[in-house]
Parts: sequence; C-alpha cells; structure tokens
Amino acid sequence: MMEYQVIENINISLSYHKLSLEIPPTAKLPLPGQFYTVRCGETKDPLLRRPFSMHRLIKRGEAVHLEILYRVVGKGTEWLSRCKVGEKLNAIGPLGNGFIFQEDVANVILVARGIGIAPLYGVAEAVLMRNQGARIFILMGARTKERVFYEEECRKIGRAFFYTDDGSKGFQGNGPQLLMHLMERKKLPQRFCMYACGPSHMLRDLADISEKFDLPGQVALEEHMGCGLGACLSCACPLRASYIRRDKHWEKPSLQWSEDRRQVYSLICKDGPVYDIQEVNWNEWVV
Amino acid sequence: MNGLCELSSYIGPMRLKNPVMPASGTFGYGEEYEDYVDLNRLGAVIVKTITLKPRIGSHPHRSTEVPSGLLANIGLQNVGIEGFIDEKLPYFDDIDTSLIVSIGGESIEEYVNLGKILNGHTRVDALELNISCPNVESGGIHFGVDPKVTRNLVTCVRDITEKALIVKLTPMVTDIRIFAEICQQCGADAVSLINGLPGMAIDVKARRSKLGRNTAGALVGPAIKPFALYLVRQVCETVDIPVFGIGGISSTEDAMEFLIAGASAVEIGTWNFINPKITMEIIDGIEAYLLENNLHSISEVIGTLS
Ligand SMILES: Cc1cc2nc3c(=O)[nH]c(=O)nc-3n(C[C@H](O)[C@H](O)[C@H](O)COP(=O)(O)OP(=O)(O)OC[C@H]3O[C@@H](n4cnc5c(N)ncnc54)[C@H](O)[C@@H]3O)c2cc1C
Ligand SMILES: Cc1cc2nc3c(=O)[nH]c(=O)nc-3n(C[C@H](O)[C@H](O)[C@H](O)COP(=O)(O)O)c2cc1C
Ligand code: FES
Repeated sequence: MMEYQVIENINISLSYHKLSLEIPPTAKLPLPGQFYTVRCGETKDPLLRRPFSMHRLIKRGEAVHLEILYRVVGKGTEWLSRCKVGEKLNAIGPLGNGFIFQEDVANVILVARGIGIAPLYGVAEAVLMRNQGARIFILMGARTKERVFYEEECRKIGRAFFYTDDGSKGFQGNGPQLLMHLMERKKLPQRFCMYACGPSHMLRDLADISEKFDLPGQVALEEHMGCGLGACLSCACPLRASYIRRDKHWEKPSLQWSEDRRQVYSLICKDGPVYDIQEVNWNEWVV
Repeated sequence: MNGLCELSSYIGPMRLKNPVMPASGTFGYGEEYEDYVDLNRLGAVIVKTITLKPRIGSHPHRSTEVPSGLLANIGLQNVGIEGFIDEKLPYFDDIDTSLIVSIGGESIEEYVNLGKILNGHTRVDALELNISCPNVESGGIHFGVDPKVTRNLVTCVRDITEKALIVKLTPMVTDIRIFAEICQQCGADAVSLINGLPGMAIDVKARRSKLGRNTAGALVGPAIKPFALYLVRQVCETVDIPVFGIGGISSTEDAMEFLIAGASAVEIGTWNFINPKITMEIIDGIEAYLLENNLHSISEVIGTLS
C-alpha cells in the first residue's frame, strides 16, 4: 500500500482516460496482466478500492511511470477522472499474476473490445522485447465507430484490424467473428497465441475457437472484488477441473474444490486475473 | 503496544492483548494479510468460518457495492476442518497472539464435532460460533433466530469444550437481548455482534440481481454501524459477559464508540479491504486516546456512556 503521485490524467476520447503515476523507487514493478487496487476518494462512498490493470510502464530517466487506461463507468472512475496532476493516489499492487510468454514467442494475436485493450498493450511490448521479429496482430473494436479508440496506438505496436457491431468502422461483427474471418482468408499465421480481454461472452467465443483449432490462448478476467488479497472470497471463478494448468508460472494457491472434487473455484485476485483460455469453465462463468 | 497503557483483558481462559481483532471472513486465514499487518500485534486473529467438510461456496458474482456498504454472498466457502488443521493452522505456530476459530454447521452435531476436533489443538484459544448458518433440521432457518435452538446449540458446545466460547449473534431477531442472555446462561464466555444484515440490489437495466444467481447477500460495512452500535448497547445493558462490537468500524473513533457503549473489544470487518492496516492503526489510536485523556487502562473507557 503506497502513495503514487499523479503525473498525468487525461481524457483520450469519450469516456476513456489515461492516468500516469510515478512508481516510488522502493515499489515493485508490475508485469503485463497484473493489477492495482486504487482507493477512489477519501469518503465511504465510493467504498471499496477499484481494480485497474497495468497498461504500460514508461521509463523517463530515473523515474518509472505506471500508465493506467480506464473508462469512466460509475462513482469510482468518475472520481478518478477528476484527480489532478501532483495529487497522490493510494494504491495496492502489483497484485495477481501476469500473462505468460514462451521464450520463442513469434506470432501473437491480441483480441480486445473497448477498455479491454488496457492490459493487452503491455503484452505486445513484452513480446517485442523478447523477440524483436515477433509479429503482433491486434483485433480491436466496439459497438460503433465513435467508440473505437486508441487506433493510432494499436497501429504502433502491430498490424491492427478494427471491428464494430454496426459495421460503421472496419469489419461488421465482433472480435471472435473477425478472428474467424481473418483465419478463413489466411490473413493470419498458421500458428499463433492469443491474448484477450473484454466481455465474458467474447472470451467464451474465443475459447471455442481456441479449442476447435487447437490454438493456445490466455485471458484476463474481471470480477467485483472486495479485498484483492485472496481473503474475502468475492472473486471466485469456476474452472474446468481437468484443464487446470499446474506447470511452471501457473501456480494456483487458492483453488477450492467441492467435496466430490468435480467443481472447483479459483480466486481471480490471487490465482488470476490471467488464465489459460481453456481453464475457465465458460458455461458456468458467462451468465 | 509500548506498555504505557493496559489494553489487555481475559475472555474466559483466553487473553486478548488488546481489544482489536479482524472479523471472521474478512481476514482469510490470517496469512493473506501478512504483508500488511504484524499479526503478533492483534488482540487475536479470527479466521474464516470453518465447517466439517470443505465448501465451494456460492455462485460467482458474490459481492457488490452499495452506498457505504457491501453486499456479500460467499456461501461459507472454506477449506473444511481437515484442510484448516493441515494447511492453515501450522502458520500460527510462529504467531504470538490468540487464535479464535469461527465454526459453522448445518446441525448441532456438526458444531459439536468441530469443537471436539479442535480440542486436540492447543494452538486454538477460542471458538466463535457463527450461528447465522442455515439449520438443516429446521428447514434452513438460521440457528441464531430461534431461542430454543440457540440454547441447545450453545449448551451442547459448552459441554464439550474448555476453550473460550464466543457466540456471534445475528441481528435478524426481534429482541437480540434474549439471545445474549441465553448465551450467558449457557456458559458462553462472550458474545459478538453483529453479523451482516440480509440485503438485495437489482440491476434495473437487466432486471437481475446484482449478485448474479445469488438473489441476496449480507449487508456489511459503514452503512450498518449505527444499527450495530445500538444493538451492542442494548446487549451490554443486559448481560455481564464481555461483548465484542462488530459493524462498520473504519476508524479509532468508530472503535471508541463501541467501547464507550460497553463493548470489551471490537472486530473490524469490511474496512480491512479498504485499508489492510486498519487493525494496527486502531490499536495505536486507542492507545493514543488513553494517553491523551490521562487514562491508564482500557477498562476506564469501556461502558462509560453517560
Ligand atoms: C483485475 C481487473 C483489472 C481491471 N482493469 C481495468 C482497467 O485497466 N481499466 C478499466 O477501465 N477498468 C478495469 N477494470 C474494471 C474496473 O475495476 C471497474 O470499471 C471499476 O471498478 C468501476 O468502478 P466505478 O465505481 O466507476 O463503477 P461502479 O459501477 O459504480 O462500481 C460499483 C462497484 O462495482 C465494481 N465494478 C464495477 N464494474 C466492475 C468491473 N468491470 N470489474 C470489477 N469490478 C467492477 C466496482 O469496483 C465497485 O465496487 C478491471 C477490473 C479488474 C477486476
Ligand atoms: C466477505 C465477507 C465474508 C464474511 N464471512 C463471514 C464468516 O465466514 N463468518 C462470520 O461469522 N462472519 C462473516 N462475515 C461477517 C463479518 O465477520 C462481520 O460480522 C460483518 O462484516 C460486519 O462487520 P463490518 O461492517 O465491519 O464488515 C463476512 C463478511 C464479509 C464482508
Ligand atoms: S477480491 Fe477478495 S478474495 Fe479476491
């Protein structure tokens, strides 16, 4: 738990904002996929800390800045959007586990919808750091053209494709449909790893594609959190018992099995928020 | 504690270093907070309610925020008594403070069995009976809302344990004083109150519960504090055994309110989520209050409401 000074807090487009915080020299640095819980205000309403992913880490001389990309959706984010440069924010983190990268990672596809791009941008940067020749494809979209944001930034890190539900920009349809479309037209490499963040039904559809074509993938999940520390058990997510990854980098300290060991819950704040796309029991998770 | 003031007390055979503890279910099994709290400094640690068998708990979407409060439906997810003893209890070997294990069950027999099993573990100093659990024998009605059942339950557990026995009362009764008195008569060493109040929140766009498939949850946090304080006061005026005040405590001032109302100690719940160091800050705060007011012992404050 530390105080982070606000370096920048700007509106990018519509309800999307970017916050930049100075990481104190003694603080741990986050990995892409990890998150912070931020106290939004000093009163009892909003009450709980709000979780936000690390978006990017920027080194400026000696200083390291943590960028958070956020969308104003309610009281907490509304308060955050009014924070001024120079003010201090109380945050806990980095929490949870980051995305996993194969050393020889070559082809990566990022699938985002709206603010889901926040944790994925760092994935592209981390992959390029490991392999400068890696090919990055970004599938980014929203309901309508007006809501598609971060276009320039997406183009900077790879080959960007856009989609909208109404077809007002790019492909008409959703992320998984665009992915299928590109695969059918052989616009994507034969083998790739996907990293995705967005609404749970989008992630479920991507899981179906991943299973059907045997493509590896990872997702960052969201759930309402109480503590962010694995103590309150608010953020339970059902996993598929026989798909749980136990290899290196995939430790899961907080699994809770049912007595017959057929059902299992994992805590997103502790074991996640990143999961192998096949681990999640999507039928149970998506309402 | 720097030893300038007397903060300790005895609850039956258990010593509390000071009157500040985390509330069950908000502090995991203790170790979750080790990066933030020196557990040795706490009055005691109270762990998540344990049942005989492990429980997977409620469906997802277990919590949602409401104005100044939290609605939570965790469904008693816990590792079960065996898991607790094998995986969680050894952690406390190196922790120098009292350990209170909250227990819950579907039948009186289950509580008794849990108590008997814990008799074999001297590291456990006290039991806190979570009687806000559905009683299968009476069709799921909570143990703590029926005076006869409460009497029976507390008597049966008292019979089999010499550890300190605390009964955690539910506010969902017409007159909580009756239940506190029953606990005193049956030999409880203390009562703690309150557990959460039932509540709902609806997403009007989707016309669905904000807790997913869970229609309702327990309302906790600052929103319940005035009510909790009122019930604590009522109970303190009725029984002679120590009372632990719980409900919406977020600061030293809140804790002092409960102590002045007559509580011997306080449990901090939801606020651990907002400030994981809050228990230590309140211990320091209480001590500072005593020093500022030229008092030497916490007993000079407890129940001094004029
Ligand atoms: C691990 C993780 C990482 C996240 N990263 C980002 C990010 O990088 N950028 C971003 O804009 N958002 C992110 N979110 C979602 C963000 O936490 C919510 O949008 C935010 O909490 C909303 O708060 P509010 O007060 O504005 O909204 P309200 O709707 O008023 O919030 C009410 C309550 O619901 C909770 N809540 C509402 N929506 C969500 C949600 N989608 N996920 C979790 N809790 C929610 C709030 O925390 C609060 O407790 C992330 C969520 C998680 C779990
Ligand atoms: C997430 C959560 C889980 C809880 N689990 C338990 C539990 O297992 N056993 C219990 O007796 N009380 C449980 N409680 C209730 C608290 O111990 C406490 O009585 C209640 O939260 C009121 O205190 P507060 O307003 O300070 O949070 C839980 C509360 C929360 C928020
Ligand atoms: S948010 Fe409390 S356990 Fe995950």
